[in-house]
Amino acid sequence: MVKDSSTKRSIPWIRLSMLMVFVGAIIVIAAQVLDQKLHYVGEDVVPGPIVPGTQYPDEKFTGIDVPQPINFSHKIHAGDNEINCMFCHTYARRSKVSGIPPLSKCMGCHTVIATDKPEIQKLTAMWEKGESPKWNKVHDLPDFVHFTHQRHLKRFLFDNEELDVSDAKRVCSMCHGDIAEMTVAKKSRPLTMGFCIRCHEANEGPSDCTKCHK
Amino acid sequence: MSQSKLDRRQFLKGLGLGGAGVALAGCDLPSYVTLEQGEENVISYLAPDEYVIPGVGVWYASTCLGCAGGCSIHGRVREGRVLKLEGNPDSSVNMGRLCQMGQATLQSHFNPDRIANPLVRKNGSLVEASWDDALSLINEKANSGKAAWATGAISGHQRVVVETHLSAIGGSNHYAIEQINANVWQTACGDIIGDPNPEIHLDKAKVIFSLGADFLATFISPVHFAAHYGEFRSVPRGTLIQAEPAMSLTGGNADHWVGIKPGTETSLALGVANALMNKHGISGSGISNATKSLINEHDPATAASICDVPADRIEKIAASLAANSPSIVLAGGTATANANGYSAAAAALMLNQILGNIGVTITSGRELAYPQLGLIEGNSANLKDLAVDANKGKIDVLFVSGTNPLFLAPKSIKMDEGWNKIGFKVVLSSMLDETASAADVVLPLASSLEDWGSHIPAYSTGTRNLALQQPLMEPVFSNTRGFGDVVLGLAKQAGAPGLDEYDDYYGYLRSAISVLKKTDSEKEWNSFLMAGQTPVPSLGRKLSYIDGKISQTANTATDGGLTLIASARMGMWDGRGANLPWLQESPDQISKVVWDSWAELHPKTAKSLGIKDGDYVTIKSSNGEITTRAFIYKGIHPGAIAVPIGRGHSALGRYAKNNGVNPLFILDGGVDAKTGEIATAATRVEVKNAGKNKPLAKLMEIDRQHGRKLVATISADKQRITEGGT
Repeated sequence: MVKDSSTKRSIPWIRLSMLMVFVGAIIVIAAQVLDQKLHYVGEDVVPGPIVPGTQYPDEKFTGIDVPQPINFSHKIHAGDNEINCMFCHTYARRSKVSGIPPLSKCMGCHTVIATDKPEIQKLTAMWEKGESPKWNKVHDLPDFVHFTHQRHLKRFLFDNEELDVSDAKRVCSMCHGDIAEMTVAKKSRPLTMGFCIRCHEANEGPSDCTKCHK
Repeated sequence: MSQSKLDRRQFLKGLGLGGAGVALAGCDLPSYVTLEQGEENVISYLAPDEYVIPGVGVWYASTCLGCAGGCSIHGRVREGRVLKLEGNPDSSVNMGRLCQMGQATLQSHFNPDRIANPLVRKNGSLVEASWDDALSLINEKANSGKAAWATGAISGHQRVVVETHLSAIGGSNHYAIEQINANVWQTACGDIIGDPNPEIHLDKAKVIFSLGADFLATFISPVHFAAHYGEFRSVPRGTLIQAEPAMSLTGGNADHWVGIKPGTETSLALGVANALMNKHGISGSGISNATKSLINEHDPATAASICDVPADRIEKIAASLAANSPSIVLAGGTATANANGYSAAAAALMLNQILGNIGVTITSGRELAYPQLGLIEGNSANLKDLAVDANKGKIDVLFVSGTNPLFLAPKSIKMDEGWNKIGFKVVLSSMLDETASAADVVLPLASSLEDWGSHIPAYSTGTRNLALQQPLMEPVFSNTRGFGDVVLGLAKQAGAPGLDEYDDYYGYLRSAISVLKKTDSEKEWNSFLMAGQTPVPSLGRKLSYIDGKISQTANTATDGGLTLIASARMGMWDGRGANLPWLQESPDQISKVVWDSWAELHPKTAKSLGIKDGDYVTIKSSNGEITTRAFIYKGIHPGAIAVPIGRGHSALGRYAKNNGVNPLFILDGGVDAKTGEIATAATRVEVKNAGKNKPLAKLMEIDRQHGRKLVATISADKQRITEGGT
């Protein structure tokens, strides 16, 4: 056979690089399988209340404990005292982010309520110094994902005839788990693209890429 | 060699599918990189204003300071940060549009290399100092001799405070320096038609014949002209003819691009005029007899022999202009950047006169009723004047802001030597550029998005507006101060009268504008800020026509070299864009090169010099040499080599420094005979292969489609039919 050097150029590094890509792919797959094991979901995950009229995502995830500058208790506020999530996270229905409530909102109650508690005294000290606490972000999506709270609340809460607005926490728990049972928030849903997509498919949400990836 | 069952194509296919599978599977599993918990901070507001909603942007109006164009902008501010700029749709300058330099202003605002604190020279090097120390040092030295100011284009109340300060320190010279300008065209317009800044109606023209005027990228107000160019190109589609030695963005868009011998644009215009008068029966009313005889001497064949454009091409241009009225003839850019520059502009206006365009597509502009606020456009003749005066010892104290003379000046005009003769140099800048690095005191300025100001745009039609600039966010670097604040402070310190009542530049500006607008109400002021602009009284001008001096000295250089064209580009501009990664990484409009300089060479010339694409070439003039890589391209005259301006910084931060070469350094210092503009397209150079090759980093490897139909095209005839023609 005549070797035609013009059509069959030999590239010495191509085999090596392909091998490396192959090995790399195996490592990635293996690591992800391992990762799933690491994030094994045990009995401790509290199932959230169900939102009527929707296909409710049932995937769970056990997040790490994220310490916060103030040991804020969601249980006392949203659980025991049944304060609507949107009372504090007031931006959720107006914006893509739900927003951490401004300190002025906390102080609206805590100038008179529970002023003897050490965590509240911490809060008051910050307010008097004019400093906001540096909260640590628990539910963080990559920058190329544009999730909007506003749209989801409209779909599952405000446009949902079977659900009263006072029951907002059921909708929140679709992605955040049963926050009303937690002190500081902990991630309890995977919030991966697969998680989003399955819920979008079940509830007939949009499926074009550019809805979320802008 | 045994044949493998799995050939490379199949293997790659398999790998691709596998990879896609892995990628999809990855979407579903917790990722290690992106889905963080507790890694980032969220800081809530203390007590926000009622309209503030995190995640929802609020748009504020301001003015772009990317060039002298003065486009009005809207900036989106979210969570206290400005994130995106857009054009203001209500502006008569840019009509909602914004160019890449305007967009990239964000990066000059958030630039990590901005100067954070005042710097004072101690024992030969710049060290950080407090504002008090820096200002008291200036106070001590500012009155120690003849003082001067050097700025870029400047207008509005910034101009007023600069001039107030200058007279308070007993100086009189204000050098406004802009390397990229339309000074030659504007001077010719002022002399010949009596209006230096006439309205140019590209949208009304059926043919545009442009001698080097790169109106889509660098001519007076490119965003404005690009918008009108869009209308010019809509049905019925106008024809654009561009004659220039090296292709510009406008040239790339032309229907007919004419690669002309550098410096001979006048003869092309004369040849076209000759054909118009002799073949198309155009009378040439209003043209002097001297000009007529000059036109008669330049029949297309003679003109062709001078300007290297075939005679039939010249006749075609004339036929196109004769058949489609109204037309418009412009001159600028490379056509005016040589010793005959003024002549080319005068010849272009002569063509407009004989074609009857004056008063039709070129109409009178309006003049500001308050000339003290008017725009000083700036030019490169002032750059040369600054160097000459500094060398003569006429300047003892120099204040510089908004320009970078040590980067812009050709070595031949001896700016460095002149600079060293100036006893005390103060630079007000937000970036440590070449000039700031060589100053005695550097005062850190706020960015254009953090500052107050008022500006007169370089060009607008109809009513003249005062464009307002307001801070879009809190300063990124807390120890910087606004330009107006600093100059007002300097003027007060120097004892300028009548300024004591103003605590800061905002107070001064607001009071000045309330006098100008004859209203002091809070509501009106807020409405000016919301609009980003406010009309100011202006006076009409009248157009007339008196022949300009047209002369053509043929480019007959026989030194065997090439003519260096230091070409201007939207993007790097005069070098101020080099510290912005968005502009560095945007492919050049013609060569598609990123992050580096290049030298455009015609394939014929390259072949005769033994140069291939990507070869390092040494370009040597009588004033030094630069080495960069060759880009072989047909869009250049074979007798020319073009290197873009803007790169080749030795300072200006991490993105600009040591990247590319600066062709301005090796210019021979020649000027346009009439205006004194530095001739950037006239230096003779010797080009040699430097003996190394490395492919240029560019986004388009080949300029042909090889049948891949990447861009679908149809013939002009078919296009006419689809647009309702016959």
